[in-house]
This record gives sequence, C-alpha cells and structure tokens, in this order.
Amino acid sequence: MAAPGFLSCTKCLVLALVFAIAAGGALIYSGLYPVGADDRHTPLTYWALETLRERSVDRASDEIEVPADLDTSDRLLAGGADYNDMCAGCHLKPGKAQSDFALGLNPQPPNLTQQHQDEEALESQARKRFWVIKHGIKASGMPAWGPNHDDERIWDMVAFLRRLPELSPEQYQILTTRGADDANHH
Amino acid sequence: MTHKPLLWLTTLPALLLALSVQAHEPSEHMEGDEKPNCSEMKEMDHSEMDMDDPVMQAMMKKCKHHMDKSDADSKESQHKHSESDDDAPRKSNHDH
Repeated sequence: MAAPGFLSCTKCLVLALVFAIAAGGALIYSGLYPVGADDRHTPLTYWALETLRERSVDRASDEIEVPADLDTSDRLLAGGADYNDMCAGCHLKPGKAQSDFALGLNPQPPNLTQQHQDEEALESQARKRFWVIKHGIKASGMPAWGPNHDDERIWDMVAFLRRLPELSPEQYQILTTRGADDANHH
Repeated sequence: MTHKPLLWLTTLPALLLALSVQAHEPSEHMEGDEKPNCSEMKEMDHSEMDMDDPVMQAMMKKCKHHMDKSDADSKESQHKHSESDDDAPRKSNHDH
C-alpha cells in the first residue's frame, strides 16, 4: 500500500521540477527581468550572490602559496602604481569617498581604502585577493588581470592593498606615481 | 522647415557628448604625467620616521631620486645664474 503513495509523491516532485524549469525558462525568454545596473537586487539575491562568491573564492584560493616577502618597499612601489592605474577608479583612493564607476556598479565594488570590521587572517586575505585579481569575478565588473599580468605583478598589488588603508592622500600620491624611471619596470 | 529634424539630429548628440565629458574629473585623466609630491617628505621630521617601515622606505626610494634631481637642478641653475652674473660685466665690456 505504501508503494503507490511513494510513486505519486515522486510524480509530484517531477512535475514540480518540470514546472519550475518551464517557469524559469519563461521568465528568461519573456525579457521581464530587469537587468539595469541602477535597479537594485533584492536582499535575498544579494545574500545568494555574496555567499556564492565568498564560498567559491574561498575554495579556489585555498591552495595558493603566499610569498614571504610581501611587505617590502619594492612591492609597494610596483603595486601602488598598478593599483592607481587599474583599480582606484572603482576601489577608490585615500581622501576620495566616491567615484563615477563605484556609483554606477551593482553590486558596488568594495572600498579598499577602509579597514573592514570583519578583518580575516592576513594570509587567507592575501590568497583570496590574489585569486580575485588574477581571475576576476563573473558579471560583477571585476575583470581578470591574469591574462596579461604575471603572478609577481599581481602579488605586488596584493602587497600594496595590505597597507592601503593606513596611507594618507599624500603618502598615496608619492607611492603610486609612475615616474619616468619606472617606465621600464614592467 | 525641412532642416529642422536634421538640426536636432546634430545638436542633440553634440549636447550629450558635452555633458558626458563634464561628468568626469579631467584631473583623473592626467595622472599619467603626475610627479611625486616630495616636498611633504622634505618638511617631515626625519628623527620621528620609522625607517624600518616599508611604506617609509618606499617613499624615501621614490623621493630620493626626485630630491637629488631637484637639488642638482637648483645647484645647476644657481651655477648658471652666477656664471651669467660673472659674464655680464665681461659682455658689457666686450660690447664697448
């Protein structure tokens, strides 16, 4: 007597799954979903995207080995100039609270000039930052810099990010200026 | 009358282009030509600096080149200035 009940339940589940797939397909093809960056996601979507991103980066960066010489002046100088050229437009610089890019992107890019409350271990933070800079994040505005920047150059940027929240606008200006003598560096 | 739509077609994109240019800070596009502002470093109290700090070391490295260069430039200009002062009477004598 239990078998027919079980079968009917399975049937219900299959039907529900088919209905969900059909409804999802209909929503995609209808064009009703708003894709404008100025249309905010729901809190549930933000949670889902953030959790997906954090878990994925966590897992993917787990095996990366952090160089021991990350806190050196040479790395700060090389990474600073690259940060200013490639990242500051979205992730800001000391003395600047907003930019055209940061305002227009959704989700908003993190302000890397600020020390975050939930600061994690330096080592794991460095691993994750390296992975994100190298591989980027899909559909977020964060590009992958790996295809045209070698690992050392990306580690230089990670080194600079570590010290960025402590820098004054004057220190930032000195460290990130690419002088004529730096032109041959890369 | 027939030129009116054509006028709109040309002025509207021009207006939009002008507005989009105003939306960005022009200074942001000039950063490639920027020089490090090392005058701040010169005024700092060097005894209070932590020379073991990589940030300070990086600033010193960056500014050393520029400070040396500006010192050399000022010495050179002073030298040229004194030379031209020395030359001035000679020139005036020569003219006579």
